[in-house]
Amino acid sequence: MTDSSTPTLEIRDFSLVFDTFDGTYHAIDKVNLTLRPGEAMGLVGETGCGKSVLTRAAFGLVPTPPARITSGSVTLEGRELLGLSDRALRGVRGKDVAMIFQDPMTYLNPVFRIGTQLVDAIRAQSGGKASKAEARALALEMLDKVHLPNPERQFRSYPHELSGGMRQRVLIAMALAAKPKLLIADEPTTALDVTIQAQILDLMAELVEDMGLTMIMISHDLGVVAQVCSRVAVMYAGKIVEDAPIRQIFDAPSHPYTQGLLAALPHPFKPVDKLASIPGSLPDLLNPPEGCRFAARCAKAHAACAAPVDFRTVGPGHEVACTLYDLAETKELAHEH
Amino acid sequence: MSTDMLSIRNLDVHFPISNGQVVRAVDGVTLSLKPGETVGLVGESGSGKTTVGKTVLRLVEATAGEIDIDGLDVRAAGQKGLKALRRKAQIIFQDPHSSLNPRMTIRRAVAEGLILNTSLRGNALREKVAEMLIAMGLPPQFHDRFPHELSGGQKQRVCIARALVLEPDLLVLDEPTSALDVSVQAQILGVLKDLRLSRPRLTQLFISHNLAVIRFLCDRVAVMYLGKIVEEGPVAEVFGDPRHPYTRALLSAVPVPSAVERPERLRLTGDIPSPANVPKGCAFHTRCPIAKVGVCDTRAPEPVPLSSGRQALCHFADQTKGALSA
Ligand SMILES: Nc1ncnc2c1ncn2[C@@H]1O[C@H](COP(=O)(O)OP(=O)(O)OP(=O)(O)O)[C@@H](O)[C@H]1O
Ligand SMILES: Nc1ncnc2c1ncn2[C@@H]1O[C@H](COP(=O)(O)OP(=O)(O)OP(=O)(O)O)[C@@H](O)[C@H]1O
Ligand code: SF4
Ligand code: SF4
Ligand SMILES: [Mg+2]
Ligand SMILES: [Mg+2]
Repeated sequence: MTDSSTPTLEIRDFSLVFDTFDGTYHAIDKVNLTLRPGEAMGLVGETGCGKSVLTRAAFGLVPTPPARITSGSVTLEGRELLGLSDRALRGVRGKDVAMIFQDPMTYLNPVFRIGTQLVDAIRAQSGGKASKAEARALALEMLDKVHLPNPERQFRSYPHELSGGMRQRVLIAMALAAKPKLLIADEPTTALDVTIQAQILDLMAELVEDMGLTMIMISHDLGVVAQVCSRVAVMYAGKIVEDAPIRQIFDAPSHPYTQGLLAALPHPFKPVDKLASIPGSLPDLLNPPEGCRFAARCAKAHAACAAPVDFRTVGPGHEVACTLYDLAETKELAHEH
Repeated sequence: MSTDMLSIRNLDVHFPISNGQVVRAVDGVTLSLKPGETVGLVGESGSGKTTVGKTVLRLVEATAGEIDIDGLDVRAAGQKGLKALRRKAQIIFQDPHSSLNPRMTIRRAVAEGLILNTSLRGNALREKVAEMLIAMGLPPQFHDRFPHELSGGQKQRVCIARALVLEPDLLVLDEPTSALDVSVQAQILGVLKDLRLSRPRLTQLFISHNLAVIRFLCDRVAVMYLGKIVEEGPVAEVFGDPRHPYTRALLSAVPVPSAVERPERLRLTGDIPSPANVPKGCAFHTRCPIAKVGVCDTRAPEPVPLSSGRQALCHFADQTKGALSA
């Protein structure tokens, strides 16, 4: 059924609100994202912009209420997910979509050995069809795949006996054992130090390349994303504002918010005199502006920005939601710093 | 020596653990900071960075060695000396949320130290506090707010204001921006860099995992591994041409915000040793890609001086240039 023209994941026109005591909080607004098979996409943006809510809600992991999906569709290899029963969604999450999160300790039970937890998870993924011995063999194979030294020994360890990087590998192994079509990694290395972070990122890049894994990697660090992903979507206040090949994001960042993110990053191998921070804060999403959500913080905002802003194509595979790219005179303004 | 703002000599900090063993959290560290200097302290998780920082402020007692802050012998200081120390040196931690009292307005939080340590009261006190908060980018409408009414970056600025209002000469910063967003991080780094101009004597020891941040802010950097400083020198030179194999591995692992310049990764293999059971010889030999059997596993290296005030703790520090990139 899958050919190269069927995207692995397609999110169209997806909007979500939270019903709160203070009113309706417009957390996600008309998001479009398409992932082709084997593609690794980074999702970046500042804290609270909606990265986790978007990727969780798409697979039924955000409780409704308080959340309410107000528009859109989410298809996995052509199959619509919105409206599926909880039971069906659980099946999708166990089998076709795997997720790993920032803090591995929260997802491992401290009182059971690593091996027991892996075997149980793999048997659950198979719907009880795999025997204990089959699950054990697959678990060891996966531990080997994620380069955990001495898998046989780690099998008998308890979570606290492993380092942070080793625990994260166990979770990656658990996630990949089901041979998912899509892996969602939400800040998978934030809790780790740089040498261990680099090992995990190497591993993820290898999995994408060798196993043809399709992946969304969420981070607020563009440097981390650059290590693994070929494409990046930048999110601001519940909207995707730029979607581009990774090189384009660094060489020709087009949305003023993306430009701001890059200007705020120090560089380990270059002297930088001054870092620019983005003045102001996220808009109040109980009462979001009708036009560009970045306008209140944008030095280049002008009259046209008060109306809703659609995507413009500014290069191959490079789209940006900003009015600066409409007219010759504003285009020049767009790249002035 | 008397010209140093902070001088740490042969510092050991050992923590006793069960069955008579000790964790050698800090093992023979020597480091000095001149007035006005900002020095970065980097290294693997658990290598002893925080312990060094806390020992300098005497929040942790040293096992052996000497620490002087502007000529004051920290380890020998009595009640009076400690009081002077609290004014001279301040520490800022990673998590601004737990460092602030939730029931105190930020005005009060900043005034507290002045009330305890100075005779400043009334209007003069109010003015000094307000001035400090404004200098940190917190205008008057914020001053009567409680911590929960502020963002993470604003809270961290309150912590910096609270430390600076006592006009310390030495500031120890332990991962002050790692809980913050990149844009907020840029604000805080800007504040710290500006301080270097407005307070030329202010000396900073900056602990961080983020090497890009260290590069932005620091004059010199010291790299720790298992309780020891393994390399030290001007930050541009150490990052540009690291000589200790651990520093090389660390630098090659840094995520670079660019799609093209990814340095060739130098992978470390082997188990990470525990500071309760430090390997013999060079402590790094169990993971070092260029370790020599019969040398590194038997003889502990001495610091090797290199050009322009640099040094590295490796038998082959003067020969390693380029040796690993091949
Ligand atoms: N149950 C809820 N009720 C109301 N608002 C919510 C709820 N859950 C999340 N939000 C809001 O939705 C927004 C998006 O949150 P989300 O967790 O997706 O951010 P994020 O981009 O993942 O941030 P971070 O980088 O900090 O993880 C936030 O402003 C958050 O406060
Ligand atoms: N009070 C204590 N009792 C026993 N061991 C301790 C104590 N404090 C620290 N240690 C140990 O000392 C070593 C150094 O710890 P420290 O917190 O200084 O490391 P660090 O370099 O700051 O690490 P990180 O980058 O993770 O913050 C670690 O092995 C730690 O477990
Ligand atoms: S649409 Fe207008 S306000 Fe929004 S980023 Fe572009 S120029 Fe700025
Ligand atoms: S002394 Fe030997 S083991 Fe230690 S860092 Fe140098 S080469 Fe490696
Ligand atoms: Mg999140
Ligand atoms: Mg620490």
